[in-house]
Amino acid sequence: MNHQPFEEWLLNDKNLTAAEKRELDLHLRTCVHCTALSATGLALRSANVISPVPGFALRFQHRLAAQKIAERRRRFWGLMVLIVSGVGLFGWFAAPYLYAVITSPVEWITAIIGYMLFVATSVQALTQVITVLVHILPDFVPPYIWMVLISAMAGFGLLWTISIWRFSRAPQGVSA
Amino acid sequence: MNEETAWVAQAQQGSDEAFTKLVETYQTPVFNLCYRMLGEPDLAEDAAQETFLRAFQHLHRYDQKRSFATWLLSIAAHYCIDRLRRRKFSMFSMDAEDEDGNSYELPDPDSPNPEAESVKGQTRDRIHAMLKDLDDTDRAAVIMRYWYDYSEAEIAQSLRLTVSAVKSRLHRARKELAGLWQEEETRAESERRPYESPAF
Repeated sequence: MNHQPFEEWLLNDKNLTAAEKRELDLHLRTCVHCTALSATGLALRSANVISPVPGFALRFQHRLAAQKIAERRRRFWGLMVLIVSGVGLFGWFAAPYLYAVITSPVEWITAIIGYMLFVATSVQALTQVITVLVHILPDFVPPYIWMVLISAMAGFGLLWTISIWRFSRAPQGVSA
Repeated sequence: MNEETAWVAQAQQGSDEAFTKLVETYQTPVFNLCYRMLGEPDLAEDAAQETFLRAFQHLHRYDQKRSFATWLLSIAAHYCIDRLRRRKFSMFSMDAEDEDGNSYELPDPDSPNPEAESVKGQTRDRIHAMLKDLDDTDRAAVIMRYWYDYSEAEIAQSLRLTVSAVKSRLHRARKELAGLWQEEETRAESERRPYESPAF
């Protein structure tokens, strides 16, 4: 059976003229497919709107309050874990030096002076190496490699900034 | 600036009270959408609450040029679609069950014409039950079109689809519903026949 244009009218919820309406009524008497389309259209348009059980807003307030508490708790424990692990790591590395400071001051003064000399000579050597590289590398490395390196560094910088921003941002309504 | 815009602005600045006003205003449309999508009142309540919670948390992203209702219903629809995709579960809620486990809704005894109300209720239930057979996104489009009178452009914006995709999804869903309706009519007809009087 040819359903056109009736199917289109029904699917598009077209506003029908009196003549079109008569035509459609005649077609519906003989076409079960279009009758079902028309019936489902009517059923959809007459479907009621269901409301929630009274007190929805109040239940939402409780849920929001619980969510805020959970969020604050999560942030607090996150911060605690960071602080404790940071302090622990620092203690782990600093323990031998602290022990040396307490037991023999002469040794640690000597160690500090030695360390400072080591750092100074290392910096000096590194500066010289970089100076030499800066003079030599441009002749060996093609320009596109520099571009790739600079782009990669910029990308890492951006990623780092976004990570810091996302981590430090508090959600709406949750104070730090 | 209308009342709703003022509430949204206040809520964006962290006012819980202003957001509660928005919850009170939109609780029914959001709950109804979730109920039509998920089928169960308990799940719908949870989804509606979660929708408002997400809206509150992401209020800073809300663009004032858009309708707040559309934005909210868009969150609800996406949440329900995600939920349905995560867990494919039995959808239809049973207000009451007969011995065979078939579901039906009890008619309101206080209504002026219980019989007519019962027939209307059955028709509504049929549509509600048939919605579960539609694709999740098609279902969301049908609900937005017929329960909220959304235009195809508004549905497209809410569901992140093109207008032509919405149109074809709506047509497909309507045809599918009509097919299911027809099947049920045929089944009901064949069930009625054995009890008909031979005189007719």
